Amino acid sequence: MAMTKTQRRRLTATARYAILILWGIGAGFPIYWMVITSFKPDNQWFSWPPVYFPHPPTLDNYLNVWFGAQEYANTQYAISSQKPLLSLWNSTVIAFTSTFLAVLFGSILAYGVSRYRILSEARMFQLLMLRMIPPIVVVAPLSLYYSALGLLDTRTGLILVYFLTTLPYAVWMTKSFIDEVPREVEQAAEILGASRWRTLFEVVLPLIRSGLVATFLFILILTWSEYLLALIITKTNVSTLPIELSKYQGSTEGRVYGRQAALAVGITIPLMIVGLIIRKHLARGFSFGMVRR
Amino acid sequence: MAFALSPPAEATREASTLAVSRARAVRRFKLSLLLPLIAIFALVLTPVLLLQLYFSVHQWTVYLSSWWDADYVGLDLFRDVLTDPRFGWAVVRSLAFATGSTLGCFVFGFLLAYLMYRPFRGQAFFYIIFILPMLTVPVVVAYTAEMMLYRSGPLNDAISHITGFNFQVSWLTNPHLALLTAALLEIWNWTPFSFIIMLAGLAAIPKEPIEAAEILGASKWRIFWEVQVPLLRPVILLALVLRFLEAMAEFPKTWALFQGGPGSATETLPIYIFMTTWQYFEVSKGAAMSYIVMLMMIVIVLVAIQLLRREKRSLDAMYRQRDEEEQAAGG
Repeated sequence: MAMTKTQRRRLTATARYAILILWGIGAGFPIYWMVITSFKPDNQWFSWPPVYFPHPPTLDNYLNVWFGAQEYANTQYAISSQKPLLSLWNSTVIAFTSTFLAVLFGSILAYGVSRYRILSEARMFQLLMLRMIPPIVVVAPLSLYYSALGLLDTRTGLILVYFLTTLPYAVWMTKSFIDEVPREVEQAAEILGASRWRTLFEVVLPLIRSGLVATFLFILILTWSEYLLALIITKTNVSTLPIELSKYQGSTEGRVYGRQAALAVGITIPLMIVGLIIRKHLARGFSFGMVRR
Repeated sequence: MAFALSPPAEATREASTLAVSRARAVRRFKLSLLLPLIAIFALVLTPVLLLQLYFSVHQWTVYLSSWWDADYVGLDLFRDVLTDPRFGWAVVRSLAFATGSTLGCFVFGFLLAYLMYRPFRGQAFFYIIFILPMLTVPVVVAYTAEMMLYRSGPLNDAISHITGFNFQVSWLTNPHLALLTAALLEIWNWTPFSFIIMLAGLAAIPKEPIEAAEILGASKWRIFWEVQVPLLRPVILLALVLRFLEAMAEFPKTWALFQGGPGSATETLPIYIFMTTWQYFEVSKGAAMSYIVMLMMIVIVLVAIQLLRREKRSLDAMYRQRDEEEQAAGG
């Protein structure tokens, strides 16, 4: 039976929505599960049949994990009720500082590349190797080198490696913004007698302010969620949130899903907020000048 | 300009010294811009890579007191690694994991992007939902997966309800399935990445060739294969290459969820290197393994970079030509 054009159009529209909704459920369900698990009382974490909505919802998990309520003080869970607020502080300091450094030096380098060609295009791509070679291949000598320098288990140590591994993204992303600044602006500044550094810091960088913010948040996503380097470089003093979360696994016998979920939600929310703020810029961060206009 | 007039000799000399000092200043400025990068290479990367080299030719374990006392063993460790069947399997697993998850991410990401690149009702909503998995910390993905994938867990239960028969798959403990589960998690986690890149790529394609093809009566299918895909080639390459490299390095999810098990079912290269170094404390063997993997990855990355550069150059040329044509038409 032949379909009319409107019928066919309606059918494609329905099929499109069907696929999108299906994928939306697939993408959203694990996140939903994590969130509701964090509100479940402990007899529903692991029950059969699974509980799809917590009844009654409880805040115990959050209170226990984040503010150390004492109900588990004498049980096996006690080891794991460590110091999430301290980890939160560590994560914040480490992620923000390393990201700030990456964006600062990244934009300086990017300016040099864009205006003075201090790195050829080939070098720019080679710079990406800092990011593309799996970090696992250097972590062992890195940790020995760090222990010789006294940087093991310190914030400075972690900040330094995060700075290193995110620098390529910072350079590429800020360069894409600097390339869009018309050169006439800098020429004007030069004629007015501004030094080269002043031109960079007081003319060019302020002009790409929103781009710098986008780059900052983009890199913050990477440093906030990093796991392997943190696992190896931090031991006891300065564990970050992802490491704190994984301790719940190693140190307990039972399954403490509700607690894990409460911690996981706390780690994830800042990331999602940041990601949604810069959602329009995500493509730029990943595309290395391959996508235009 | 130089041929226009011959200025007085005095002025020329002055101008040329000015130019020389200017050139010197520019050179100094360029050097100071580069300084942080040079510092990184000299102070961090070089020592670390040299240490790695040292350990891969000296037999050392943490039980030896000082690492500079270790015995020189030449290339023995490299021979050990290359004849170690576990290492061979780790390479195979890593390649299978990376290829499978890359293709999965790409196919789903491209499909979703294709369905979404033209404005429609609800576009912004779907976009936000679709990028959420990428904004979840990998370790969190692992633990959430554990909460969902146990045998009587919600995923099997939900599938049972929908399909109507008793669905009981051991996603985490069946050695034949574990690597597949890890790859599926990777696909769930990173399809948004391919989706974002492909969406940006599709949106950036100039409209004229598509409209021209539509006017000529070409089917959607033909427009897709003969107009859109060729124009998207750089973006497609980018999505595949970056995803593949990241998947080769994947550690947090696989480690947090499986620790290489059950058996050695999920023992990919990063996992095996990690276990060798931090669980068996065979630092030297780990170093040799790392060197081999690093060389392998450098070869892959160089090939990838070559491909990407070629695409970028042809893309730049295309845009330059378009800009010139626009300018010619405008002026």
